[in-house]
Amino acid sequence: MRVLAIVPAYNEARNLPGTLAALRRAAPGCDVCVVDDGSTDATARVASRLGATVLREPVNLGIGGAVQTGYRWAEARGYDVAVQVDGDGQHDPAWLAALIEPIARGEADLVVGSRFLPGAGEGFRSTPVRRAGIRYLALFLRLRCGVRVTDPTSGFRAASRRAIELFARRYPSDYPEPEAIAVAARAGLRVAEVPVAMTERQHGRSSIDAWRTLYYLVKVSLALLLLPVRETARREEEA
Amino acid sequence: MIPEPILAPRLQLFAVGVLLVLFGAVVRMVRRHQLNLRDSLLWLLSTGAGLVVAIFPELLTRFSDLLGIQVPSNALFALAFVYLLGNLLVANIAISASASRVRRLAQECALLRAELEELRGAKGPPPA
Repeated sequence: MRVLAIVPAYNEARNLPGTLAALRRAAPGCDVCVVDDGSTDATARVASRLGATVLREPVNLGIGGAVQTGYRWAEARGYDVAVQVDGDGQHDPAWLAALIEPIARGEADLVVGSRFLPGAGEGFRSTPVRRAGIRYLALFLRLRCGVRVTDPTSGFRAASRRAIELFARRYPSDYPEPEAIAVAARAGLRVAEVPVAMTERQHGRSSIDAWRTLYYLVKVSLALLLLPVRETARREEEA
Repeated sequence: MIPEPILAPRLQLFAVGVLLVLFGAVVRMVRRHQLNLRDSLLWLLSTGAGLVVAIFPELLTRFSDLLGIQVPSNALFALAFVYLLGNLLVANIAISASASRVRRLAQECALLRAELEELRGAKGPPPA
């Protein structure tokens, strides 16, 4: 089974060495591609020096566009599984094997790493206000798409070949995580969750500051409310 | 008795002048490839309509009577408002379409760049 780790990175030159080293330690057999989302620092240079494939976007597309670039690479290169791991060190690659397992067993197409499942341990769990927002989004997802997840905003997730093909064609932009779950569920993919622990980012600030949390909730609510046109998981094969 | 003109001749002349300049500017931009013909169409049409109304203001009176609007200028404001909203929506649709094209293009660029680097790496560094 060929596994690709997709590491979206925007100005993460300082965090990347740690993240990539941890990835190599935890998953020596998996290929790593860093998506440099139009960084202005040495992100691309650092990543390529550390032996990762670098997908360098000429302009900043935001996390949604960057992650999709990774999925398109995974699709073109025929990977069986793609795992999203943030470049900022929040996601500990030690949990990678657990994330892939349901896909390897053929039980799921999209596996979300959740901080709120039993067994996740005492990691970084965000502020109480955001936790309330996360619970609200989880409820919304359950009512609207019938998916049961506890951590819909988690960007630590694994995708099967079917999910890779779907996301290569359609991936939301602008706080895409909860919406991507909806896209997958509506395409008939099986969504599962496994417990993971996260750490607070080491350098720099999270891309979501207090003011944007509200925009995040409004945007994602609207997206889930409108639910874009249903997408089929596989393109119709030509007869 | 001659009825009071709807538009003072001086104002009428001024309006026609402004509209002609606008019309000329749009035509000029199209000819210099600064504006698509397709995108210019709405502007040319609206400026043309403005000219017609400026030259024959009675049309506006008739239109406002038809809709039951008491003051003809209000009919004009309402029309202009709706027209601008429509234009704004058209522009927004175009921006959205452009944004998703830019996204696709940037992603394609990233993938091609990686392919290229891989090929170069396989062949060794390019000669200096």
